[in-house]
Formats: sequence, structure tokens, C-alpha cells
Amino acid sequence: MELTELTRTLCTLPGPSGFEEPVRLWLEDYLKDIADEVRTDALGNCIAFKRCGKPGAKMVLLDAHMDEIGFVVTGATDGFLKFAMLGGVDQRMLPAREVRVLTEPPLFGVIDVLPPHVLTAEEKEKAFEPDKLYIDVGLTQEEAEKLAPVGTPVVYASDFLELGEDKLCCKAMDDRACAAIIIKAFERLSRQELNVDVCCLVSTQEEVGHRGAAVAAWDIQPDTALVVDVTHGKSHDWRDAPCVCGEGAAIGIGPNMNAAVAAELFALAKARGIAHQTEVVPGGNSGTNAHAIQVSQAGVATGLISLPLKYMHTPVEVICRKDMDAIVALLAAYVESREV
Amino acid sequence: MLDTMETLCCLAGVVGGEDEVRDYILERVMPYADEIRTDPMGNLMVFKKGAVTPAERVLLCAHMDEVGLIITGFSDDGCLQFDQAGGIDRRVLMGKPVYVGPDRVPGVIGARAVHRTTAEQRKKVPPMNEMFIDIGADSREQAQKSVRLGDLAAFSDSVVRFGDGFVKAKAIDDRAGCATMVELIESELPCDCWFAFTVQEEVGTRGATVAARNIQPDVALVLETTTAADIPGTGGKDPVCRLGGGIVIPFMDRGTIYDRQLYQMLGRLADENGIPWQTKTRIAGGTDGSAMQRSCAGTRVAALSVPVRNIHSMSGVATARECEDQYRLAKLFLEEMAK
Repeated sequence: MELTELTRTLCTLPGPSGFEEPVRLWLEDYLKDIADEVRTDALGNCIAFKRCGKPGAKMVLLDAHMDEIGFVVTGATDGFLKFAMLGGVDQRMLPAREVRVLTEPPLFGVIDVLPPHVLTAEEKEKAFEPDKLYIDVGLTQEEAEKLAPVGTPVVYASDFLELGEDKLCCKAMDDRACAAIIIKAFERLSRQELNVDVCCLVSTQEEVGHRGAAVAAWDIQPDTALVVDVTHGKSHDWRDAPCVCGEGAAIGIGPNMNAAVAAELFALAKARGIAHQTEVVPGGNSGTNAHAIQVSQAGVATGLISLPLKYMHTPVEVICRKDMDAIVALLAAYVESREV
Repeated sequence: MLDTMETLCCLAGVVGGEDEVRDYILERVMPYADEIRTDPMGNLMVFKKGAVTPAERVLLCAHMDEVGLIITGFSDDGCLQFDQAGGIDRRVLMGKPVYVGPDRVPGVIGARAVHRTTAEQRKKVPPMNEMFIDIGADSREQAQKSVRLGDLAAFSDSVVRFGDGFVKAKAIDDRAGCATMVELIESELPCDCWFAFTVQEEVGTRGATVAARNIQPDVALVLETTTAADIPGTGGKDPVCRLGGGIVIPFMDRGTIYDRQLYQMLGRLADENGIPWQTKTRIAGGTDGSAMQRSCAGTRVAALSVPVRNIHSMSGVATARECEDQYRLAKLFLEEMAK
């Protein structure tokens, strides 16, 4: 599948943290024709391998996470659903927001708001308080309790949009756009003769603390890991954000990244003319799966390549298509250049 | 009935740019109309003969315009500045897609990542002049290639039927009323009737002001929608009216004290025909009725409104039943006028 189409397909699948099954099932089906082996572990991580067939070959892990932020139903009042957050939801996005309640089949819902006609001037200035918001599914209390019981996951309902000449916009670009990137790189590498084994890990529960990648890395025991996640791109209301959409793969440097891996990524990007930029990540936690993978088992040489994204954790996350191509090229270049 | 309304909701007709809606309605009603008038404002007025010619000139009225945004500027980094076209609670705007101008250029109202906002910022919503639309352009020049100053932006046109007979769409206010009028014109009428599809209701009933002078009706029935606050978590706020509680026959709003006889007549007709109805429990909002009532030497006015949750947002919610009952009761009203 072409990269934009793959991104569209992945982003529109529902899979909030802890409830990623629809995404995983799709991935398993897609990866089985490419990989030597595809498996699922106890946390629902999707793990695919391509073996180079050389004895004693080292293993390079490519990681991106499949979960998205979302909600979970915690009750019903007068047929309207109460909900809690899964991951770092921006509460300002909730008023008059359309959602998919992940029942079988899914229910459409709208987070209703009070009309301004009944609000005081003071009330109109404040953001709506999320614990006073409910999802309207057009049902009676009895139906709501039966069809969407407590514990039912919910995601944003967003259309996939192509903006301008080269921007893509949807919910869950964080991190399905990067899942699409590592799959394209894995696909490309699977057709080549390599000196290393490659593992494509599409991990779960990143948004609630890198939980999926932590156990998957333990199991896979890679020698090197390249984590691909989104980072903040400059936007109109955040001019000094760390990276810029359209300026290429953001290569991370800092304590959470292995310095040699980072240096090699820079060298490869320069040598092959791959658009890239630097993201300085101070501290030990990049806020990505690199945090968990770096200290897995006896330690993993971990690199972080980020896709700059505007409006993170909103239902309208925007990325630049060119940056995706750059990261695919950089991942492939890194794996291709491994020696025996 | 619902199909017509849904088709109408999908059209872009942000206040001051109602052309697409008018063109569609004109095409639908042309074969059934006995007379068609337009005016310099863009109102569409349709006359259709019925079984009898009543002593009083009767007008039905619904507005074609919807709330949306208007482009007021470009930033150096290619974003669009905007203002509201019609009254919008700015808190519903963040993170929503919009479609700008005649080419429907897609864009989104962006918002700085929540990760780098302060608790203070998260509790406030920026003023509209600090919000912006991102159409994927990297510079002012690039943005100006596809968008012009003054272009209107409409919300997403997706229509969803859900739950027990509910429908979600933008612009139910007032394509519901337009749909009722289109279907009435396509039916056999009990009496002669004028239909005014008006413009610019959302910025002060400006289309109705001149349409009323053009037709000079004795009696006007406004087919509208009205705000419903029947949701939990409101801390005891007045619900105004309820979805599923029946078509709303208002006795009064902020613009109009409706004609008492007509109000009572509509309530009686609903009761006699088993149509559930309610009135508004809060004096809020307004309709084209205010302009119609005080036009020329005065007009007796009444209104039938479909209750809508999240009115003036991209995600209005109404029930199919109440949309259909607006049509039924309007038809019964015309039968009464024929007597």
C-alpha cells in the first residue's frame, strides 16, 4: 500500500490505549505477507520479524506505537455516557466533538454542550469542565447501559484530510503515521539482502507510559532499536517549538539516545542527502518508547527519529508527507549499512 | 422529509453566501411554483396556489443562511485569520475542520499541543482573533493562492443518523425549516401561500426585513429551530426545551411576543392531531418573526421550531420525529387558514 493510503487506513482505525485490537488485527494481516514471522504478545504488541539467514546476526528493532489517545465509558446518566480519559486528552477539544463509541457495531456520539443562550458572560469565558461533559448517543438510559456498558472504549471520529500540497491531517497521526513509516521501511528492507535481522514492533499503550514497548523489548532483546514517534512541529501559536514540519527527519540527541547511533544517523542522512533536523532531548525521558527500550534487559543502543507534528493530541494532528519519506529512507539506510 | 433536510444541510450557505442553498431550492421548487421572486439581498420568495384563496395573505418563512466563519487575514506563516459569521461559541471551534471559500479548501483550526500549555491556558479558550485556520500553506503567498479575504468557511458537511431516530449535522438551523417548505411546495396546498427562503437571519433577521415588505403578508408562520439544553451536568440549568418533547411552539423569545391566537391555534391543532408539542421555558433566542411582525403595517406571527442540541455548532443534533412534525403541523396550519 502506498504510504499516504497506509497512513489513512491506519489513522482511521480505532485503537485507544489498552484497546488496540482493531489496529493489531489489521497490522497482522498486512504484515504476514511481508514478514517471516508475525506474533502477538500478552500486551497485544504486534511483532514481525525478517531474518537475514546469517549465523549470529544482530537484531535491529524498529518501533512505533499503535495506540491513540481516547476515552472510556464510566457510566450513563439519562442515556448520556460519562467518560474518563485514556492518555493525555486536550480538554479544549471536547465541546461539540464527534466520537465513535467502540461497541459492535460502533455507536456515533456527540459531546454535547450547553448553548450560549443559557450561559452567563463569565461562564462563556471558561473552558468547559470535562467532568461535566457527556456523550450523546441518542439512547435511553436502559439502552445506553446495555449497548455501551462501563468500560467501553471511545475514540475521536475524524476525517482524514489532505491539506495544501503536502500536509496530512487526522486523529491518531501520533503515532500511526510513524507505524506506517516503519512498515514501509520494513517492506523495503524485506526485499533486500541484509546482514542483520529486522524486527518491526508496533507497540501498545505508549500513551499511558510506554507499557507495551517495555515488555516487547524485553522479549525481542534487540541489539539496536530505532524508535519512531512524533515530535512537536512549529505552529502559528507555537513559533519556537523544537522542530519544523517539512524540514525532514528529526534525529534525537540527549541522554535517552545512544550517542553513537545518533551520530551514525546524522552521518547517513548527510551522506545520502536525506532531509533531517536535530531534536535536542534533555533529560532521560524523551516521552517516547525510547525511554523504556533503552533500559530493557542489559540495555539497548537506542536511536530516536521523530516526525514533526502540529497540534499534538488533538483530533486534527498535522504532519508533512515529505518528512515521512525522509524517515523511511533514513531507517532503510541505517539497516542496509549494518555489517556482519 | 429527513432526506431533503440532510441534502440541504450538506450545502454551504454561511451567512452572506447562501447561493448554493438558494440554487438547490430553486431547482426543487421551480416545477411547482406559480410565481418566483428574488431580491437584491438574495431572498427567494415562492408563491403557490392552493385549493382556496384565503382572505388573509399567508406567508411561511425559513432562513437559508447558517453560522460559519469569514476570513479576515493571512499570517506570514500561511495561516488564515477569521471572525465569526453569525453567533458562534468560540469554545466549539478548537480542533475542528472547516472548508474555506467556493473551492471548499480544507483547513483545521489548530491549537498548541496540550503538552506545552499551562493549567491556566487549558482552562481558558483563546479569543477568536488569536485562533487560526491551517490550510497546509507554508507562507502568506501560498495561502493567498487558494483563499481570498472575505471567503466564507463552513463546517464539515457529514450527516449522521444515530441512536433512536436522531440526526447530527451542521446547519440544521435552519435547513430543517427550508426542508419543510420545499416539501410543502411540492405537495398539494389547502390554500394559496407565499414561502420566503430568507438570507442573513443569523446577523439580525436582515433578509426577512425586506422579504416581508415585498410580500406584505397578513399572517406569517416562521419555521425554525431552537436551542435545547436538555443535557446532564448542567447544574440545574433550564433545558429551554427537550429533544423528543415535541415540536416547539414558542409564546415569546427575545425578538417577538408571538400572536396569542395563532399560538393557541397551533397548540390546539397539535393536540387534536396527536402531535406532541412543547413551548420554550426560557425567553431566549429570536427568529425572522421579529422582522416580519413589525414590517409595514404589521403582521400576525407564529413559529414552529425543531429543538436542536449544540445549535450554532458543527454538530447540531435533532430528532427525525420533530422535523417531520414541523411539516405536519405547518400543513395543518394551512388547512386552518383555508377555512
